[in-house]
Amino acid sequence: MPSSTLATALGCFLGCWLFGCTAYAVPNAPLDFTHEIVPLLRKHCAKCHTGARKQGGFSFDTRRSLIQGGESGVAVQAGDSSNSPLVERITAQDPDLQMPPEGPRLTDAEVGLIRRWIDSGLPWDDGFAFAKSNYEAPLRPREVELPAARLGRDHPIDRLVDAHPNQPAPRSGISDREFARRVSLDLTGLLPTPEQLREFLKNPPQTRRQQLIDDLLNNSIAYADHWLTFWNDLLRNDYTGTGFITGGRKQITSWLHASLVANKPYDAMVRELISPTPDSEGFIQGIRWRGEVSASQTNEVQFAQSISQALLGINLKCASCHDSFIDRWKLQDAYGLAAIYADAPLPIFRCDKPTGEVAQPSWLFPELGQVDPQAPKPERLRQLANLLTHPQNGRLSRSIVNRLWHRLMGLGLVHPVDALNTEPRDSNLLDYLAWDFSQHGYDLKHTLRLIASSATYQQQIPAESSPDGENWQDLSPIPRRMTAEQFVDAVWQLTGSHPAKADAVVARRTVSGGAGPKTPARWIWTTDQKQAASPGGETATFEVTFNLPVVPEDSAVALTCDNDYVLIVNGRRVAADGNWETVEVVSLADSLRAGDNTLRVVAKNGGEGPNPAGLLLVGRIRIPDRPTITLATGPDWRWTRQIPDGEGTFPAEPKDWLPAIALAEPTVWSSRIGDGPSQLLEDALDPHRARVRAALVKSDELMRALGRPNRDQIVTSRPTQFTTLEALELANGDALKAMLEAGAQRLANRFAERPAELVDLLYTFGTSHPPSDQTREAALRFLGKTPQASDVEDLLWSLVLQPEFLHVR
Amino acid sequence: MSHSDCPETAVPGRNEQQARRLFLQQLSAASVAAWGGAAPRLLTAQDGLDKAPQATADSCIVLWMAGGMAAPETFDPKRYHPFEVGTPVEKVMSTFRSIDTAVDNIKICEGLEEIGQVLDRGTLIRSHVLPDLGSILHSRHQYHWHTGYVPPQTVAAPHIGAWMSRVLGPRNPVIPAFINIGQRLEGIGENEEIKAFTQAGFFGSDHGPMNLPFPEEAARAVKPPRGMDPMRFSKREKLYKELLKRTDASEFRQDSLLRSLENAHRLLGSADREAFDISREPQESFDRYNTGRFGQGCLLARRLVEAGARYVEVTTEYIPFVHWDTHANGHETVDRLHHEIDRPIATLIRDLESRGLLDRTLVVLASEFSRDMIIEGVPGSSAKDQATAPTDVLRELKHYGMHRHFTGASCVLMFGGGIKRGFLYGETAPERPCIAIQKPISVRDLHATIFTAMGISPATSFEVERRPFYATEDGKGQAARELFA
Repeated sequence: MPSSTLATALGCFLGCWLFGCTAYAVPNAPLDFTHEIVPLLRKHCAKCHTGARKQGGFSFDTRRSLIQGGESGVAVQAGDSSNSPLVERITAQDPDLQMPPEGPRLTDAEVGLIRRWIDSGLPWDDGFAFAKSNYEAPLRPREVELPAARLGRDHPIDRLVDAHPNQPAPRSGISDREFARRVSLDLTGLLPTPEQLREFLKNPPQTRRQQLIDDLLNNSIAYADHWLTFWNDLLRNDYTGTGFITGGRKQITSWLHASLVANKPYDAMVRELISPTPDSEGFIQGIRWRGEVSASQTNEVQFAQSISQALLGINLKCASCHDSFIDRWKLQDAYGLAAIYADAPLPIFRCDKPTGEVAQPSWLFPELGQVDPQAPKPERLRQLANLLTHPQNGRLSRSIVNRLWHRLMGLGLVHPVDALNTEPRDSNLLDYLAWDFSQHGYDLKHTLRLIASSATYQQQIPAESSPDGENWQDLSPIPRRMTAEQFVDAVWQLTGSHPAKADAVVARRTVSGGAGPKTPARWIWTTDQKQAASPGGETATFEVTFNLPVVPEDSAVALTCDNDYVLIVNGRRVAADGNWETVEVVSLADSLRAGDNTLRVVAKNGGEGPNPAGLLLVGRIRIPDRPTITLATGPDWRWTRQIPDGEGTFPAEPKDWLPAIALAEPTVWSSRIGDGPSQLLEDALDPHRARVRAALVKSDELMRALGRPNRDQIVTSRPTQFTTLEALELANGDALKAMLEAGAQRLANRFAERPAELVDLLYTFGTSHPPSDQTREAALRFLGKTPQASDVEDLLWSLVLQPEFLHVR
Repeated sequence: MSHSDCPETAVPGRNEQQARRLFLQQLSAASVAAWGGAAPRLLTAQDGLDKAPQATADSCIVLWMAGGMAAPETFDPKRYHPFEVGTPVEKVMSTFRSIDTAVDNIKICEGLEEIGQVLDRGTLIRSHVLPDLGSILHSRHQYHWHTGYVPPQTVAAPHIGAWMSRVLGPRNPVIPAFINIGQRLEGIGENEEIKAFTQAGFFGSDHGPMNLPFPEEAARAVKPPRGMDPMRFSKREKLYKELLKRTDASEFRQDSLLRSLENAHRLLGSADREAFDISREPQESFDRYNTGRFGQGCLLARRLVEAGARYVEVTTEYIPFVHWDTHANGHETVDRLHHEIDRPIATLIRDLESRGLLDRTLVVLASEFSRDMIIEGVPGSSAKDQATAPTDVLRELKHYGMHRHFTGASCVLMFGGGIKRGFLYGETAPERPCIAIQKPISVRDLHATIFTAMGISPATSFEVERRPFYATEDGKGQAARELFA
């Protein structure tokens, strides 16, 4: 056993937790690399083993070079201090061997820290290096010749990965089920439904994966809904936030979503962002705060910072205050870019003090051309848009393909993804992807398809690795947490608890040329109104009854009434409205039951004198493996003058039931309503089209806890770790509780006598695998023969917090 | 077991076990933090400027007078003039009489008698100077005060509570390091502006605030969810663990999840969580604090500090035009606010002292700016007049009070945590404009003082997006040494 106390403590503490001992030991404080190790190495070792100085060929500028060792061989064995010569050297008494050779020795405490550091696998902070490299990222694109295929792996990405130095042997591929879950979450942000899984597994094995990738990418609404999160983060677009209160900020949501639905080429998107229409101008406008802001945060300078960070992976934030200390960008560069956006001559400020100079509009890479400083602003922006999307601007493509790789594989080829000036982990692969992307018309879906179809993407994810950013050489995918939006969407999928309305103003209906489905419903009333219109104030109760074999999986109605209605389903008032020009979609998920169901609408005509009156309702009830049941107002409905009470009960059973009259001339409404109800209903029942997605609603306490950022700044990385506050929110927060509670009630109704089916469904849906026998057994023991809603809720909670649920893997 | 001990031909299952063990070994929190990352990195300055000072406090409580507390109506009384119809407004400097306090040379406004009696335990600063920022806005000034940076910023600046959480961590692992009491974040107007600084910024959500807008409901935040009794809660936890055990390949990256859930459950199941439950306070003591939400917040803060909280903020709550945001009818509003804050704050100080906690607990009372009856900003400011009942002569009671945002000087109280007792720092002009004329202290230097007391160097910096970001602006905050005992 290594002497590591950390491993023991961690193991013990996990053990305690798993097996429920009550006295908890406080876990050992985690090792803080920068706080504890860096100063120590600086103090004792840096003089001879960093930067240009590599005594004995040994340098620990980076974790990689540390592990490589020097002339006398390997210096450290990650995870094993007792077999690490470095420890021998720092503890040696022999003056010829001891390190450091002169100066004070390491104290016992310091040696202990080094041992702990080695034993815990040499944690190293992302991007940290004792000596900075002089790497300068290339500008122009580069066509990469593909290396020969090895081991029959012919996919371009696999050929490049297989040729990558130090790349470990490929891991085994994932199963079809694992693939379906990973790729669905990656491309559309949704769990594959059990039906989708079944269909997928029925397809021919040779083509099913490619087919699924295509199907997912072709589901343009689900794709757009999911990727909206990525783009909102990148372009700091949101539905609420600082600046909106005073009109100092403008959304680009509708433009962005529509661009994604249409799969607009990326170069076209960039041109529209930089040389914008009113719908897309919000990005370059930035956020205008009331009052004075520092010179480095004027809207012009924000413009320079945002486009360089988001589109080029260049950080101009240093250079917008003074010449950068960390890269080649100068104050002049930042202000030149800013001046392109300026309406008036832009004075240059250094550290918030005027320099007396005025910025000359210019962009960062004059080797590709330059904007005309004399041209008016819209023309300058147009020229900048063309320069950014210049075929020779490889940075634009490299930056975006790197971000896509990051999303699908967990770690950018250049990492962090906003710092494209960092040496790529594999420049051939990066350059190939960027070249290929531009050769395919800047088609984002093309690159996603390319990555997802590689064996590299489709391999198992190593559980034993602990990547450390740019020093991490392995190009295999690493495990990823679900984003806040993916998690909430997945919970909504399991529970049907999605909200009724989106906050984002987006068009989520794919226009299909011709008219939508014709409504089977007819406008009905108590009398045909060809001769005499309904008297003002006339009130009647319309009713339909039907039998359901089981509690349906999904159901909704869309309805409207001239003028007023109250909808009562099985004695529960579920909706009411008084505006005939709006159609409401109402879920019946909590109202329908197995057996007889009664749907009543108390309808009232408005006005003083006689005027047209009518009721229109269309509904759909879905039961797995059975044809969908359609409800539609028509002559099979009946009506009475009796009015039920609030719970839908009549004082006495009406004796005056009459069949409803389907109105002959509903033209008075159809011009306004048309097929609205059917269309709305299609939306309401189509999980990919109309279910509100988490990306489309404002952030809330739950999503904030799960790491959805405030989009006041560009934030392109989501948290990779879970946090205590987040766990608290998940363990006892109201938001998750409410979703699970509502969903559990429905599921308990639906699976009242069939707990085994419920467990299988939840696991298959949640993890894409049926539960193992032991899991099923444990869950069933918990649920009992007739599951209570509260037990179903707790099972749901226990499932959605399982590591295998919360990760994309 | 080391690598070299591991035979190539291990029996099935053993490899997996081993991989798992190795995996756990390697997953120290530090390596996980680095993974995938944009996690900011602590920088070490070459010249040792950021060497941590010796802490004089372990915990910090900020009592936030949200909305702009008028100094002349609270802790810096000027010439009093009663309300009389027809009085020219320039004659009124304070609308409250001044009273004696436990400290000979300090007078404060009537209505604050109890605080006056504990002033001998702390320091009163009258010369806290805020910038005008062109347009004096609560949202920007509160952002500035809470992060040390004027918005907007190129990266999300962390709240000072997040700095303490990041640099010092929790005092008691069960109690979140940064607790924010009394501020709703939804439905109160300017929500987004409040959220912009009520966060950990680039430090990431673990250092963000635990928000407890209603002290009476704080206990709920650490109890099983609504409608779940303890029995069911523990049954659920048991089921979770059982499923975890039975799931294939469940070792998969569960460490930070499990550790976090473990912490959450530890809090939810620990005796310490009683600290959140102010209904457990003895009635007499509860009543002494209970002047409303703020008073209850002070009680909650005391209980949390006793249990080991690191940073607690209690606010009177910012709502535009409500509480300290007196754009009209200032006198009556402040009269009510005196009542709301006076006894709870004095009780908090006394309780901390009698429990032996005041020496190591720094209590700071502050506000984003002061107010004046006439002057918006400071003389010469171009800021627009924001009084909603402007007048030259008092006609109605609603004219009587401080209705303009004044940035020339505001008051700060500091108690305990190594700060001098019975001390007065700074001075303002006796006549309008009542700007600081002695020892002006900026947000940057006040923060430097607070950080220094907590053992954090004002020059502490983290690397974010490859640039340094400092605890105080440019790392240049200077603690006011004179304030320390």
